[in-house]
Amino acid sequence: MNSWSQACDWPGRTEFGGWPHTYYLFNAPAISGEEILNKRLSKKWLPLAATIALGVGLVACGDDNGSSSEDTTAAAEATADTTAPADTTAPTDTAAATESSEAAAPAGDWSANFKPWEEGAAPVACGPKDGGALKAAWVYVGPINDGGWTQTHDEARQKVQEHFGDKIETTYKENVPEGEQVSQVIEDLIADGNTVIFGTSFGFQDAFLAAAEKHPDVCFEFATGYKSAGNLSQFYGAAEDTDYLTGMAAGAASKNGKLGYLASFGIPEVVRGINAWTLGVRAMNPDATVKVVWVNSWFDPPNERKQAEALIAAGVDVLGMKGIDSPATGDAAKAKGIPWAGYNRDNSANYGDVWLTGTQYHWDVYEIPRLQQVLDGAWVAGNYYGNIGDGFVGLSTYGDLVSAETRATIDAKKAELAANPGGEFTGPIKDTAGKEQLAAGKQHTYEELMGMQYLVEGVDGEIPAG
Amino acid sequence: MKSPIRLERRLKQPRWLNWAIPFISLLGALIVGAVVLLATGKNPLDVYWRILDRGFLSKRSITGTLRTATPLAFTGMCAAAAFRLGVINIGGEGQLYVGAVGAALVGLWLGGSVPVGITIIVMVVAGMLFGAMYASIVGVLRSQFNTNEIITSLMMNYIAGIILNYLIFNSRSYWRDPRSVGFPSGKPLDERAHWPSYELFGFGVSFGFLIAVVAAIVLWIIYKRSRLGFEIGIIADSPRAARYVGIRTKWTIVAVTAMSGALAGIGGASQVGDFAHYLDAKGLQLNNFGYTGIVVAALARLNPLGAILVAVLLGGLTNAGYSLQGPDFPSGLVGTLQGLILFTAVAGEILTKYRLRANRAASKAVTA
Repeated sequence: MNSWSQACDWPGRTEFGGWPHTYYLFNAPAISGEEILNKRLSKKWLPLAATIALGVGLVACGDDNGSSSEDTTAAAEATADTTAPADTTAPTDTAAATESSEAAAPAGDWSANFKPWEEGAAPVACGPKDGGALKAAWVYVGPINDGGWTQTHDEARQKVQEHFGDKIETTYKENVPEGEQVSQVIEDLIADGNTVIFGTSFGFQDAFLAAAEKHPDVCFEFATGYKSAGNLSQFYGAAEDTDYLTGMAAGAASKNGKLGYLASFGIPEVVRGINAWTLGVRAMNPDATVKVVWVNSWFDPPNERKQAEALIAAGVDVLGMKGIDSPATGDAAKAKGIPWAGYNRDNSANYGDVWLTGTQYHWDVYEIPRLQQVLDGAWVAGNYYGNIGDGFVGLSTYGDLVSAETRATIDAKKAELAANPGGEFTGPIKDTAGKEQLAAGKQHTYEELMGMQYLVEGVDGEIPAG
Repeated sequence: MKSPIRLERRLKQPRWLNWAIPFISLLGALIVGAVVLLATGKNPLDVYWRILDRGFLSKRSITGTLRTATPLAFTGMCAAAAFRLGVINIGGEGQLYVGAVGAALVGLWLGGSVPVGITIIVMVVAGMLFGAMYASIVGVLRSQFNTNEIITSLMMNYIAGIILNYLIFNSRSYWRDPRSVGFPSGKPLDERAHWPSYELFGFGVSFGFLIAVVAAIVLWIIYKRSRLGFEIGIIADSPRAARYVGIRTKWTIVAVTAMSGALAGIGGASQVGDFAHYLDAKGLQLNNFGYTGIVVAALARLNPLGAILVAVLLGGLTNAGYSLQGPDFPSGLVGTLQGLILFTAVAGEILTKYRLRANRAASKAVTA
């Protein structure tokens, strides 16, 4: 933590969204070249704003600035090397992934995984009143081209728009910082006539709850939270199942049995991911250990990259991650040429030579039928927890590093988990202290999964403030 | 080769220039912005109307603007107070966090056990004290050891951020909600510790914003009418002269840095009391209030009353900026407009002190 550049990478500074948007000046997310070019053109004036706001920081962080533009160039070149442009590849991959999941398991019905907060509650009438288009808005914590979490949400929004055509008018707000600003953004969206609002960052939850209470005629949909209201739904899915499958690919790829894992926060969602991943690793590589580091942020690419480099220096030969929005870990893996299992988004096109696979969310699986319910006047608030079976979570395209034999093993397990979500947590499971957390033959209940606060045997690390 | 124009110091600075220049700058920004907007296929008039409407015109938007402006007013005054002495305290960010920690501490501790007014006053005072103490570390280092306060105050920001993370994410501290099984979050304050907000002329004004206005007036009086303000002026102009006439330079540096930190500290307290009602470790760090405060101070020319105005302007621009954003209006374009306005405002500043002159060798036609 001594160097200047490290000091410049604390979360408060690198997480953008303040005024003005200084983010891009320092941290160029490594994404596809086309996306960068498109964005860059419209952002060429940004340094003006940034120079004023961070005149001093600029001097201190000059090195960062230089290195991130190198990264950008590298990423752009890497994309140029691949035969097809990333933009055309992505939909094909998604289609392929959907096909394979359909082949592996019969596509389940999303509604089986949705439970209203209150049985028989009256639907909320948040549809268009005057026969016009339904206006729906998405609020993002990151930039829409973050190469991960926010980008998958925005891709889902675009699918929603395509699906409904002119029946729905979608919009979004990106780079919205958590805190008071969210309330302002929600109020502004409602003033614009939006009657369905999607929230995609945990820290927005209180603002969404307050807005839901204030605007009973607006439908609120919130990803990854837990608080409820008559017009506030929660949606998320069993990413631990696909994290397990990703772990299998990672375990098979490790030669020395030492793997590294970047985790955001010590919350149950992430802890489930670490545990499932580790169980997957050890299913393929029984004596392997997984060294976990905490980034304490959802989105902090320079810090993610440094942590990943530190893990590589400590001797791990495969990297994985959970709750991390950007592919910066993949950049570190790529620089050192070691396999990387991603998260959030199919990055097989940009990180082809190191890519294994990763958990991928298909938010539209839930969002499209829910918006249809709004149009039909049948929307009630509740909790949704999707899984592989209904296609809400899935595996990204396999990288070349995953052998045909491993793919077959993973696909078989995938079919099994599609039929039995959470099945990877079947006892006996011991924690890092050797204490039995799950008796032989038992499976965790939904509530136990939601509150998971132990790390399984094989993890090298501990939950902060556990 | 000689440049065709040169800058010449104005012998007199007419008062009207102080008002005219910012408006001309703004006009210039709007014209350049219009070119950018036209180039990207937008109607500039529509865009500017929306900025006005969503930032400044309706009751709802003014209410929102004042809410966004509240922390910026405090951090702006924090920067302005120290900059006037020549102490470049860029630690408003960290001082705001620490103020929030202090206010949350007493807010949680007193809760509803004492009359409402007392809890709120004690929270404000705690925010001030915590911010002041945190900033005075920088002040003492500067005055006793002549440490570069730019570096120390910047470093202290990181430390404050780490303290916030520790209190909420990495420990079971007094500030953390023990019931937050999912995501760690701050313990909510008792409802009686929530700061009030008032309805003035039809729009909502938070208690914090009113304190900011009072603080700005007090600060203005200190700088214009008090002995301390006079001494600060001398120290800023010539520290050696100040020492010769017997001004306690070291003491003043510590006192002013502490005062500057106290202002940011109230800003942090207001985040807890007015808005979040708990210690929001992530939200505080995501908004860059402290760094934006430096912009506020610069645009306000270190005038505390000006800081309030500029904070409201930036608050409105921020809210309007989010309002503009959407699928057909990338956030980069919003940043461009905001950046242009800031840039020309700062660049125009030079014209109050200098005038443009044509270099005779190059051309005789242009005169300013």
